[in-house]
Amino acid sequence: MKLDDIKKLADLARIDMSESEMNEIAKDFEPILAYVGQVQEAVKLISTNKDGENNKKSEDYSLQNVVRDDVVTNNKGEYTDKIINEVPDTQDGFIKVKQIM
Amino acid sequence: MKINLKELTIEKAHESLKKGEYTVADLVGAYLNVIKEKNTEINAYLEVYDDVFAQAETAQKMFEEGKDTLMTGIPIALKDNMLFEGHIASASSKILENYKATYDSGIVKQLKQEGAVFLGRTNMDEFAMGSSTETSAFGITKNPLDVSRVPGGSSGGPVAAIAMDGALVALGSDTGGSIRQPASFCGLVGLKPTYGIVSRYGIISMGSSLDQVGPFGKNVRDVEILFNAINDYDKNDSTSIKKENRLSSLPLKKKIGVPRSFLSGDGTDPEVTKNFEENCEKLKSAGYEIVDVSLPLIKYSLAVYYIICPAEISSNLARYDGIRYGLNSDEQKLYDVYTKSRGKGFGKEVRRRILLGTYILSHGYYDAYYNTAIKVRDAIKKELDNVFLEVDAIITPTSPFMPFKFGEKLEDPVSMYLSDLFTVPANIAGTPAISIPSGKNKDGMPFGLHIMVSVMREDVLFTIGKDFEKLI
Repeated sequence: MKLDDIKKLADLARIDMSESEMNEIAKDFEPILAYVGQVQEAVKLISTNKDGENNKKSEDYSLQNVVRDDVVTNNKGEYTDKIINEVPDTQDGFIKVKQIM
Repeated sequence: MKINLKELTIEKAHESLKKGEYTVADLVGAYLNVIKEKNTEINAYLEVYDDVFAQAETAQKMFEEGKDTLMTGIPIALKDNMLFEGHIASASSKILENYKATYDSGIVKQLKQEGAVFLGRTNMDEFAMGSSTETSAFGITKNPLDVSRVPGGSSGGPVAAIAMDGALVALGSDTGGSIRQPASFCGLVGLKPTYGIVSRYGIISMGSSLDQVGPFGKNVRDVEILFNAINDYDKNDSTSIKKENRLSSLPLKKKIGVPRSFLSGDGTDPEVTKNFEENCEKLKSAGYEIVDVSLPLIKYSLAVYYIICPAEISSNLARYDGIRYGLNSDEQKLYDVYTKSRGKGFGKEVRRRILLGTYILSHGYYDAYYNTAIKVRDAIKKELDNVFLEVDAIITPTSPFMPFKFGEKLEDPVSMYLSDLFTVPANIAGTPAISIPSGKNKDGMPFGLHIMVSVMREDVLFTIGKDFEKLI
């Protein structure tokens, strides 16, 4: 991994860091990626086990979305104070942000 | 009256409180005295809550009105990533240093109903990323059994609180071993429940497909009682398992599996291996048959974990942007508000894992890492399902090595990550697992036995655990 690669990731992750830290992280990545790269080896073992896979009696892992009804469940303003109290920058009960454009 | 905290259990405390031998305030006061005496050195607690005696009063009333349960008046330490309305929850990070929870987590709600007393929030690795509590933004926590050693992580604070007699029980969270490994390092019992059995609502997220909340105690029975008090279905957690889908107990086969080839790697301390063999003999004497089981994929669990977890971390920690809560860096441009707030607020290990996750999920690498990891994850689950048709449980040591000294594993990230080698499969597969103290070495440091069972069979963990406990 090169400094430029880390710079791109830091930008994507929106984290401001010094170049020396980014260089350190680039070095750290090497042994970590080498270790987790083992999954390439593991996945090959699965494809050769076709028969073993069909012998299992485990349930079908079908996934479902869990949602609630799309209705308003609170009274207007019920939680506003609690939430606004934690917001760093507010004005008239609104969350204030810097100019977007 | 002097309460013997060392020998105290939930049931003993409950009996004394019911008989009026002491009040809840007396009991809470006894723990607060210990905290005052020991916490400066140990740093288990980041904060003792200011409403502890008000909580004690509520509990005392429940005894007076005959509405008490086993958990009423019981002093509990929370981990710093659990929301308790009106109190700070910071995940031991500067980015949430002054964040006051705006709602109660599901587990706090359940325990409030029983009148448990939350003593305070305890230290952890920042955002639960670590195995030693060394990455906390608010100082290290020392192992009360040997203050030159780590208490384990990321739930180092909760375990140290109990081990120093600063709490009777505690709650922690476990994503890769963060309950079980510190339990082992401090000579306690720690349970990671089945994924979906305990609500994650109000628990600061790390890896959402891996996180679970679980109890710590000095013995299996206390852990069982606390587990029963926090495992209600919660509609606010979309992964919470509904009541009708929960299993009931079945008779035991009295057969326990040991994955011999998984244990034969050379990363494990010889004395840990020796203790494990002794544990196997003890279980045999308790009437269990010990058999060798084949789990060819299980050794890849750690690699799978360090792909899936950072990926989920990078996604979960995107919410800390300095806008709605937490540390805010006042800049001119919005982009700088994000980057500077996060740059100032996140510690080194958090940044490393977020970047790792960002890399893993980015175009060009997504298939090689993330998609491959989830395929292997699914295969590991199926492999374990098959083995659990033959045996009640699978056992290993909890940690490949003994509690290490501060700084020992900070230089090489992979050596720290290897702490989770035996605990991580349970998070990958969503199966419940427990760590039980299994003796001490010549330095007085504890060993731990790790027992894993199939989903929703915590009852098997408690049965085997209680049988094993009698033999130590």
